[in-house]
Order: sequence, then structure tokens, then C-alpha cells
Amino acid sequence: MIHFDNVTKVYPTQKRPALDGVSIDVDKGEFVFLVGPSGSGKSTFLRLVLKEEKPDKGRVHVAGKDLARLSNWKVPHLRRRIGCVFQDFRLLPNKNVFENVAFALEVIGKPRRFIRKVVPEVVELVGLEGKAGRMPGELSGGEQQRVAIARAFVNRPQILLADEPTGNIDPATSIGIMKVLDRINRTGTTVVMATHDAAIVDSMRKRVIELEEGLVVRDQTRGVYGQAY
Amino acid sequence: MRAQFVLSETWIGLRRNLTMTVAVITTVAISLALFGGGLLVNQQVSEMRNFWDSRITLTVYMCNDISPAEACQENGAATEEQRTELQGKLEGMSQVDNVEYMSAAEAWEDFQKRIGSTNEALANAAQEGDIPDNFRVQLTDPSHYNTVRDAVSGAPGVDSVSNDQSVLEDFFGLLDGLKWAALVVAGVQLAAAALLIGNTIRLSAYSRRRETGIMRLVGASNFYIQLPFLLEGAIAGFIGGLIASGFIVATRFTLLSRIEEWFQFDVAVDTSALLAVIGVSIILGVLLCTITSFLTLRRYLKI
Repeated sequence: MIHFDNVTKVYPTQKRPALDGVSIDVDKGEFVFLVGPSGSGKSTFLRLVLKEEKPDKGRVHVAGKDLARLSNWKVPHLRRRIGCVFQDFRLLPNKNVFENVAFALEVIGKPRRFIRKVVPEVVELVGLEGKAGRMPGELSGGEQQRVAIARAFVNRPQILLADEPTGNIDPATSIGIMKVLDRINRTGTTVVMATHDAAIVDSMRKRVIELEEGLVVRDQTRGVYGQAY
Repeated sequence: MRAQFVLSETWIGLRRNLTMTVAVITTVAISLALFGGGLLVNQQVSEMRNFWDSRITLTVYMCNDISPAEACQENGAATEEQRTELQGKLEGMSQVDNVEYMSAAEAWEDFQKRIGSTNEALANAAQEGDIPDNFRVQLTDPSHYNTVRDAVSGAPGVDSVSNDQSVLEDFFGLLDGLKWAALVVAGVQLAAAALLIGNTIRLSAYSRRRETGIMRLVGASNFYIQLPFLLEGAIAGFIGGLIASGFIVATRFTLLSRIEEWFQFDVAVDTSALLAVIGVSIILGVLLCTITSFLTLRRYLKI
């Protein structure tokens, strides 16, 4: 599903590569934790998958597509197959829960009838039934992140990328978020989650890829966060 | 494609930057009004040139007993031979289309007829013989005016050659100057308008960066993301163009009508030409704004 072949990425302002000859394979339906200190290359990995950045060396394949050969005007179609969740939720404050989730479908031109049908289903999937009319400001951090996950998943992407989704949320609430991500993973969606949260990684016992200074230093199925941190 | 979504986003953009939108519309309106005004004056000038080119005649006045010119004072009134010779010479020139002789009596009658109704005092004061007999020379092409004039002025028996051409040229020169002044100012204004639009769209893109960021992430097409901004520019340009049309129509029916009345020309810029000028102005406004928006978005709206 995601295939990195000897990928190097150097940002123009920095000498040290953000990713240095990284080769990673993520299969369909996998749940992968991406761990490592800040600046280790986790975010760069996610940005490369979205084709927000281009690698300086090596090849990136996502959902069977070679991204180097994907023309710019086709990038939106790639992104429709990838859902994204961030630490800071990125909800629209002037739209309610339903509208925030529906926005993702509206802007890719889905018919209104379809939106009315699928949005409530996803809102229920993330555990927000009965709160579709609330504004983001009226929700707790955990609930807001659930809305963001619903928005990322409403178009049924093949891949869900999560960049520290529990970074702004207390540990008890984080467990709920992880349950939602696990539920999404069980539908067959590949989930890649970058995180600093050792407790979560340890409790989930999923595949762990550890990056350090742009290198893969550990790739473990059913791994833990690691001792060093 | 969901038109309602795009339109509501456009409306939000226009409303959020209301002051900038008003500034854009004003600048576009003024610049297009000047541009359209320039075009109208241009139309008017060429119409009038055509009108006059077919009518411009050379009048060669012959010496008579009261001619003040030096040559006439010395040699007295033109003789019959001199007249015949001059007529032959004129008719022999390839630039001359037609020569018509008008005796002093005919010239006086003609003068009475043309001036009598508007300026009776002048008509009454004039006597037969005050206007010398003359040749009305029709040219094949008005640009040969100087050649023909030089050939006959100074010929024996010739008092003077009228030069209404130079009067007209001064007038056309003035209109041409007006036209160019209007077009240059319009150009500067259009450049200012383009910068303003760029700035407005940049503000608009900035104030909606949350939305566009999400749209990008969930895979909205570039066109879909840009369309509200492009429409925002296009609508501002269109409204500016409409206001400019008002100015252009006003120009047509005040300034140009005055000119016509003043010179008693029967040459108006017709309605279809007026509509064409308005159409060109509005299209120019919409295109300018849309293209500027597009170029701005390429810089400030990362896809």
C-alpha cells in the first residue's frame, strides 16, 4: 500500500537529510506506529506519502501509484484515497460537526443525497451520535479529534495518516481515540500514525517503525515504544 | 460540481474583504471608463475623418478689383485667359477629381443662402463682388491637398487658396491627443487595478487558508479550490465594467453630442459601435481581474 524505496529528502535550508535512504513497506490493512524524537523524519514521511513534498532520491509508491510519475493535476485524486488527522484537529470553527464532515465530500463534488446518507454513519462510527449539530467550540478536545477522524474517513480512504492525533489530548481520552482508529483499521484501512505517546504504542502492540535522524533504526511487528525515551 | 457551494464561498470572500472589493470595483470602473472613452473618441475621429475626406474641397479664389493680395494689386483682376488656363491646369492634374467654376454672382448667392438664415447682419453687409469668383476643386484623395495647393497658389490671377484642411487637422489633432491621454491614463489605472486585485485576492486566500488547506488535504481539485477566488475577481471586474459602461454611455450622450452640435456634423457614433465599446470594456475588466486572480493564486495558494 505504501512503498518507500531508498528515499532521501533534503530540505533546502538544512544540511542533514530529513530522510536518508529510507526503505519501508506498509501492506494493505496494516496498523503502523511511526515513532522517534522530533526532527527524526516522521512528518516528512507523511508529507511524502501525500506528495506534498518530492523525494530527492528514491521512489515512493502509494496505492499502487509511482508518485514521481503522478502528474500534479492528479494529486487531488491521490489525496482522496488518503485521510489525514492532525494534532491540532483543523476543524472549521464556523461549521457544526455535520457540516465539517460534509465539507470533505462537498469539495470533491459528491451529491447532497449521498452526503446526507454517509455523514451520519461516520459520525456514529467515531462515537459522536447525537452531537452532529454541535459547533467545534462546544466540544472537548477528544470529541473534536473524533470529528477530524470522521472527516478524514468519510470518503472511505484506503490509507489513514495520523500525525500525533493524541498530542493535544489527555491519556484517558486518548484511549477512546485509539479505539476509533482501531475500528477504522478493522474495516481494512491502512493506518499510519506518527506519535510520541509511549503508553499508547505499548498498549496497542502493533508494528512499530522507529526513525532517528532520518534513518530507520527499528522495524518491529507487535513492538513497543522503546526504552530510550 | 456544486454551484451553490462555490457561489456561497465566493460571496463570503467578497463580503469579508468589502473595502478592498469596493476599491477594486472603483479602480476598474474608472480605468475602463477612460479606456472606453478613448475608444469612443477614436471611433468619432475616424467617422469624422471619413465624413470630411469625402467633402473636403479646395477653393481657389481669383483676383478681383478689391483683392488685398499683393499679386492682385499689381496685376489687377484676373483675366479670362488666366481663368481658362488655370481651369485647364487643374483639370489636367491627376489628383483632381472635378473642378467647378463659380462666378462672383453665384458665389454671393451661395453665401446668402448658407449664411442668410443664421447671420442676417453679415449676409446683408456683404455685397455682390465681395466674394471673388472661384474654382471649387474636388480631390480624388484628400491627402493630395498640399500638392494641388502648391501647384496653383501663386499662379497668375490667383488671389488665395483656402486652407480648411489645416483647421480640421488642428481639430483632429486635439481629439487624437485627447484619445491618447485617455488611453494612457486608462493604462496606468488598469495596472493599478491589477495590483489592487492581486492584493485583494491574496487577502482573501489568506483569510480562507483553513478552508483551502482542508480542501487540499481531502483531495478537492485545484479548479474547485481556485474557482471561488477567480469568481471573486471576475465579479468585481464585471461590476466595475458595468459602472464604466454607465460612464461611457454618459460620455457618448454629453461630450460627443456637444462636439457634434458644435460643429454641426451629422456623424454620430451609432448604437452598435457604442455597444461594441461597452462590450470590449466589460470583457477587458472581467479578463483582467480573472487573470490577475489566477496569477496571484499561483503564488499564494499552494496546491
